[in-house]
Amino acid sequence: MIGSIILTIALACSIFSVIMYYLSFKGYKNTLNYGRIGYHSMVLLVLTASFILEYLILTHNYGFKYVYDYSSNDLAKGILAATFWAGQEGSFMLWLLLSSIVGLVLQNYSSKRGDLEPRVMAVFSLATTFLLIMVSPLFKNPFASIWSEPIFLSLKDVNPSFMSLPFLQSFRFTDAQSGQIFIKMNSELFASLSSVGISLKEFIINGKGLNPQLLNFWMQIHPPILFTGFAMATVPFAFAMAALMKNDYKEWVKQSFPWVLAGAGILGLGIMMGGYWAYEMLGWGGYWAWDPVENSSLIPWLVGVASIHTLLVQRKSQAVGGIGKFAKTNLILCLLTYILVLYSTFLTRSGVLGDASVHSFVDPGMLIYLFLIIFIGTFLVMGFGMVMYRWKNLSEKIASDEAVLSRDLALFTSAIVLSASALIVLVGTSAPIFGKAVDTFFYSEMHIPLAIIIGLLNGLSLLLQWNMTKGKDLLKSSIIPLSISLVATLLIVILGGVNDIMMMLLAFSAVFTLAVNIDIAFRIIRANFSMIGAYVAHIGIALFILGVIGSAGYSKQVEVNLEKNVPVTALGYEMVFTGYSPIENTNKYQFNISLKKDDKSFKVAPIMYISDYNNGLMREPAILSMFTKDIYVSPLGYEESDGSGLTTVNKPKEVLTITASIKPFINFVWTGVLIMVIGFVISVIRRLKESLK
Amino acid sequence: MKNKYIFGGIIITVFLAIMVYLFTQSNIQYESNFQNVISKEKICKATGSWIKTKSYEVDKVNKTFSFFMMDEKGNEMKVVYYGTIPNNFESAKSVVVTGQYKDGYFHARDILTKCPSKYQDEKIKSSGL
Repeated sequence: MIGSIILTIALACSIFSVIMYYLSFKGYKNTLNYGRIGYHSMVLLVLTASFILEYLILTHNYGFKYVYDYSSNDLAKGILAATFWAGQEGSFMLWLLLSSIVGLVLQNYSSKRGDLEPRVMAVFSLATTFLLIMVSPLFKNPFASIWSEPIFLSLKDVNPSFMSLPFLQSFRFTDAQSGQIFIKMNSELFASLSSVGISLKEFIINGKGLNPQLLNFWMQIHPPILFTGFAMATVPFAFAMAALMKNDYKEWVKQSFPWVLAGAGILGLGIMMGGYWAYEMLGWGGYWAWDPVENSSLIPWLVGVASIHTLLVQRKSQAVGGIGKFAKTNLILCLLTYILVLYSTFLTRSGVLGDASVHSFVDPGMLIYLFLIIFIGTFLVMGFGMVMYRWKNLSEKIASDEAVLSRDLALFTSAIVLSASALIVLVGTSAPIFGKAVDTFFYSEMHIPLAIIIGLLNGLSLLLQWNMTKGKDLLKSSIIPLSISLVATLLIVILGGVNDIMMMLLAFSAVFTLAVNIDIAFRIIRANFSMIGAYVAHIGIALFILGVIGSAGYSKQVEVNLEKNVPVTALGYEMVFTGYSPIENTNKYQFNISLKKDDKSFKVAPIMYISDYNNGLMREPAILSMFTKDIYVSPLGYEESDGSGLTTVNKPKEVLTITASIKPFINFVWTGVLIMVIGFVISVIRRLKESLK
Repeated sequence: MKNKYIFGGIIITVFLAIMVYLFTQSNIQYESNFQNVISKEKICKATGSWIKTKSYEVDKVNKTFSFFMMDEKGNEMKVVYYGTIPNNFESAKSVVVTGQYKDGYFHARDILTKCPSKYQDEKIKSSGL
């Protein structure tokens, strides 16, 4: 109850803050401070509400529907705390919480940069207002009581000492099929309980628990990072709107640049952490399945990264005066980044994906659906309405020729290629709305040529100087990296057995980028360390692409039946299943397998168990990481029989079935992403300094 | 200035063309009526539920997993999946199989199970990079 009240007051503060900031922009003198007070109060209230929710979870207060639905007594502390964002309501709450904090930094940042604050914060508080409406008692409120809608409690979750209460008998139900007994929890039962002085916390002693596939280390950090990325995507939108409101397109470029970079870095990290989680935990052997939920966070990332490239051109071209090149492109891309985050939320939470994704939330109701449409619609109309309104002012003629061989054009083309990639993913992911779906080869076939172009373009554009380069100069400077790449590609083709022409081209373009970037990074690292961010990020991307080529294109997989203590040779390893053993303090079993190759021996232990949560068999793979490859062992099943189905007097055969696969250079995928993120960090620091100039 | 438009224009046109082509190639229809699935024999995503009373079968030799599915109207069909039983299959509320009906049964290359809990974060996918 108190949580809902706090959130409602926070909503009022947020609306107040929007109005006050807007009035300050309109020229009112005394309203700026009110706007700040409104925003800060909102943040304080949201923080308080979040603490209350976390407290309710940690103290197992199952009188709240959210706590009952997603946690239970047996969860470890860290995971228990992370059930804060295990469900729809809580993840909106997390998004809101992180947005408010990002806004706090933004308020401080913008207050130091001229008259920026009222415009930026008016738009930003509008975004928090919508999130607050989302978690209000009208929609996805995490503080809803358990009896707000009738719910059937399993008998084991109810305190047995109250079972003899006479009025309870009329709330008992027996499931005809399974014979299980349930207690119907509704407002009447709540009233009866309170009349005899029993609190819900005493009455309900355990919760439903967490989906076993969320019971993972990454559950504690992947969602917060991803939602920080989402929250930060609001900032470029706010900056673009601020520029449009003032009709001044010069300053916003350098002011928003560090935010765009930081947002893209964090979102990218969050997305790939999800990929690593999937790889390590979910056992389908991959880190990316083109699942709609994965895709929908990738789309805004791609657009955000595209905007980085054109913002760079605009900033450079401002040196000759005027607002610079690509003013319209940049505004549109920055607006789109946030709108696509909202669209992604709509896709995954409105129920439109239905059967298309395992991730999707099941039918949240028509109201939510409509509200999400209004949410996106507002920001879409507001953003693009303003762009159209200012269109004429944005068409400033810039007197400079563009040659085909210019870095400007290369950067612009890369933004186009990234946007094309975003469009492809968007089209494929949105298809389920129209009752269709695309096969995953749609994405991979489309992206191979794009990735080749990105690699070549990046290498070339760095060799090109700003504006113009003579063909001769380009040839001269590219001889060394080109020859290195040719040799390296040749080695990859011969040693790695790469025989597909597209893969050869992709490998070549990745190595080319790698060579050029490393070359430049080394040349400038002494002179100016702060400048190497972009090169480091591109080295990361090149390594990432090489990792993808190896792990996606050239992994080998076999299914093996391992009879206990009988060696089987597969993938060049001698594998022996040595029996299973229970893991302490859990209901899990590890299946021990020893691997031998030449004189080296290794041990892996994939895990299987029956989950109490859904009575399903859960499997967890085991991964043996080496420098050049991972050996990935995914359990399939275990059987004790003689194989013929007949019972025998002899000891039964114990057979473990696994899929074993070798994933070459998958480490490059992870290190590539990490290096890319480091590049982003270096760039953010540099651009942060520049934004004050 | 002109170069920008020529370059961009060519790239955009080529990619749009390839995308539309591949989209039509990789396009798969959702089908909740098994009569259509059986009569059309086209690659589709059939949605329905597992018939628990008919159980399922795991064939170790041919490495297949087979079961019976039912659509909303009660039409049944046999599904054979080239792989193993997915996590959570027993508790699945509904099942989406991707594949093609041929020679008297549905050849599935992908199974997606949906569980009755509200927040679905299970990737019971058998494919992926």
